[in-house]
Amino acid sequence: MNMPITNPLRVGLRQERVISPQCLVVFGASGDLTHRKLIPALFELFNQRRLPSEFAVLGCARRKWTDEEFRRKMAIAIGPIASENQNSWDQFASGLFYQPLDLDKDNDVFLLKKRLEDIDRLRATHGNRTFYLSVSPDFYGTACRSLSLAGLLDDPKRSRLVIEKPFGRDFASALALNRLVQGFANESQVFRIDHYLGKETVQNILVMRFANTIFEPIWNRNYISSVQITAAETVGVEERAGYYESSGALRDMVQNHLTQMLALTAMEPPGHFDPEAIRNEKAKVLQAARLADEMEPWNCCVRGQYCKGGTDSMPLAGYREEPGVNPNSTTETYVAMKLFIDNWRWQGVPFYVRTGKRLAKRISEVVLTFREAPVHLFDAVGGSPTSNQLVLRIQPNEGAEFRFDVKSPGSGMRSRPVEMEFSYEESFGEPSDEGYVRLLADAMLGDPTLFTRNDEVEAAWRLYTPLLELIEDSPWQLPICQYESRTWGPAAADALIAQDELIWRRP
Amino acid sequence: MSPQLTLQTPLKLPSEEIPVYLEKLWTNDQPGNIGANTFCLLIWQPAWLEQQLVRTGRIKGPVIGSQRKGLINAARKVVLEENLPPSTSPFDSKVTETISKETGSFLAEDLRGQHIDSAISALQPRRFITLAPTIEPNKKLETLVAAYCPLPEEGGGQSACGDVVVLKGGLDSLLEGLEILDSLTLKDLPSWLWWNGSLDQASKLLDQLASPPRRLVIDTALGHPDRCFAFLTQRILQGQAVNDLNWLRLRSWRETLAIVFDPPSRRNALKNVVQLDIDIEDSHPVQGLLLAAWLADRLDWDFQKLVSLDGDGIGAEFFRPDGTSVHFRLMPLPVANPSDHPGQIVGIRLISKSSTNPSDALCVILGAESGECMRLEAGGMANMELLEEVVPIQKTTVEMDVARLLASSRGSTSPLLASAAPLAAKLYSYSKSFT
Repeated sequence: MNMPITNPLRVGLRQERVISPQCLVVFGASGDLTHRKLIPALFELFNQRRLPSEFAVLGCARRKWTDEEFRRKMAIAIGPIASENQNSWDQFASGLFYQPLDLDKDNDVFLLKKRLEDIDRLRATHGNRTFYLSVSPDFYGTACRSLSLAGLLDDPKRSRLVIEKPFGRDFASALALNRLVQGFANESQVFRIDHYLGKETVQNILVMRFANTIFEPIWNRNYISSVQITAAETVGVEERAGYYESSGALRDMVQNHLTQMLALTAMEPPGHFDPEAIRNEKAKVLQAARLADEMEPWNCCVRGQYCKGGTDSMPLAGYREEPGVNPNSTTETYVAMKLFIDNWRWQGVPFYVRTGKRLAKRISEVVLTFREAPVHLFDAVGGSPTSNQLVLRIQPNEGAEFRFDVKSPGSGMRSRPVEMEFSYEESFGEPSDEGYVRLLADAMLGDPTLFTRNDEVEAAWRLYTPLLELIEDSPWQLPICQYESRTWGPAAADALIAQDELIWRRP
Repeated sequence: MSPQLTLQTPLKLPSEEIPVYLEKLWTNDQPGNIGANTFCLLIWQPAWLEQQLVRTGRIKGPVIGSQRKGLINAARKVVLEENLPPSTSPFDSKVTETISKETGSFLAEDLRGQHIDSAISALQPRRFITLAPTIEPNKKLETLVAAYCPLPEEGGGQSACGDVVVLKGGLDSLLEGLEILDSLTLKDLPSWLWWNGSLDQASKLLDQLASPPRRLVIDTALGHPDRCFAFLTQRILQGQAVNDLNWLRLRSWRETLAIVFDPPSRRNALKNVVQLDIDIEDSHPVQGLLLAAWLADRLDWDFQKLVSLDGDGIGAEFFRPDGTSVHFRLMPLPVANPSDHPGQIVGIRLISKSSTNPSDALCVILGAESGECMRLEAGGMANMELLEEVVPIQKTTVEMDVARLLASSRGSTSPLLASAAPLAAKLYSYSKSFT
């Protein structure tokens, strides 16, 4: 039986906010991100009729492309998405423009300004601009300075600045970068993007917690015994060796994505759904978070690096054998750690955070394990009673599950765990928008709720400072543990959690 | 959020001086400030019911033009005391007509146009023009003007972002005062007309004000269905942006129906619908027909013919894309506690039967939170999977709905409404000729 692909009754039900007329200026437009994420996301917004007709994209990079070349290259790069919707693409592409630009050259920046004024006239974009810095962090300062000098950041209501990760390498560099950016733009103009926050399921953490009355009363140290946050990837370093070698799992994943999940899971309820109210609470909880052992971080953290693995028919290279990776690299591809949050809600509850490449499964999830029943009245089928668990599945198989005990059928009163599931796929049947669709729309709407504020970024870096210093100053105290590709990481990570008589959830 | 007054006491000026005064206000008093780059909102704000309730002493003033709770309760009391049919909604024109015959001469301050609901003021309208007709037909034109800014917590700042103009008086004097409207129009900004009253009234004025490219907000629950459908479909055909609050109030029904069919396992049932029943309050069929037309449009049903029904209902037959008949019935029901707006939906029943697998039958019943849908639950569903849902009452005020439209509209008619309205109008006009 043929299933209709979409629910015809759902079409047009969402009352989306309207993006005001504007020009999105992408710096680094010849780079990967533009054709892999930004243009497809904008085209999706266009197809959802969420972009106003008075809209333009101005790509900027050093290459001497023309508007037509830019349009053609984008069409080729995004492939079938464009060719299968040719009419729609043609309309969308008529709003794509390109301006060669070297940020170090003042004249180029003034040419940019002039081009923007032309586009304002041509596309009626009313001088509203969103500048997207898809360039190396080394150029953030130059870009902000140039835009400021050209007067393009003068009106906070009409100009916004979107900044990609990584935002700093440590607390000191993040602080310096924040000061630099804030020297040229108001904080209200700055949108630091973390694509994890664009995920439906990450936003769902807030809705699950604060739209229901049943969770919040038990969402604390009185009922929750531990929290695990996992972001596991099956892929290796792929083509990102150059960047990854200087970053590692801690900077690439933990400081931003996992820390954001931690903040959403652990924050206090905001007074109202307002960007600043939410970001205040996130910043507060991150400021209260700490490594379980700040003095001797090696006691609460494990670093790992994948080595070869796979099968005879499909062998997988180890990290040090990957192209572009130093054969003696000490960059971690896996990190696991234990954190505490020193506040009334979470005092004493361990938060275990882990991420790694080439692990057994691709999965991101938050697992809240509840305390055991104080008295065990029933025999458990499995020998010992199981704790209730709430699993928030970020990806894949997006959804949530709750594990609890029921009576096992038959005579006697034996308990056994069962799972109650919610699946986005089963309930809604339609894929969610890609994170960049949501985040680009929000940035152009000037809604900073899903973007990280300066104090959040700083608190996140501060949280890992003892670890970063240890890795920098005395790496031998936190050695790299090798783990076989497509396993669940080094044995030391199991030992870390076993200290609390716990095990990592094996999804 | 509570409504707020303009921060500055409005200044009473002769109408011809208003444009000059505003010009001066922005160039001299607010140098460098050109106001919010948003929109101009023109409101027809008759507040007949409120004015009559105040005049007869049933509620206290001031007259503000918003649909507050005390006003609704007082109107409900009129229905009971004056022996109007219990199904009469408080904003039914019968209520206003009834009290207009009562004696009374209580006076109250008239703050229409100066009392801006915060849901709207938060959007920072650049110009807010209110046409406030008085129940005294011969009252002379009075024009007021003030600079305006939303409170800081609503996103407003220290400097003015807009201005407020109020034209108040008897209908004839208002018509005279309209001359200044052209000079008050801000050419670069979108302009909206919110016709906050019945479409039956002041039709000449409505036609004059509702000229393109002005974007319209109307309420097809207010006015005779003939007029409502005629106005709505005419504007849609002309390509003018028209937003209907009665359509907007359907969103919880549409959303609940969509939720029922969100799980992919239920999608096939949508292809096998054989019957659709809609119950409405009292006899204003516009909302019910709009919902039926929306479903027919979404599911590609072709209207075939009208079907005779017992009573005041409207019956019709559609053909699904596979040629199978779908039977539709719209039934008006007497209710003891009607909604604020006439003709709101009470319940929906949608029956789906697969021709290839008779055991694969589904009956979906949606009932309004405010009432019950026993009629729809009666009989015939024993062999079907039964899905019942309660549709929540929307607790939004009309001002919040308007603010929602202003904030989310792309300045065009919703394509779904544009598709549904002509079919709903056709069903209505055929049903009249049929009977």
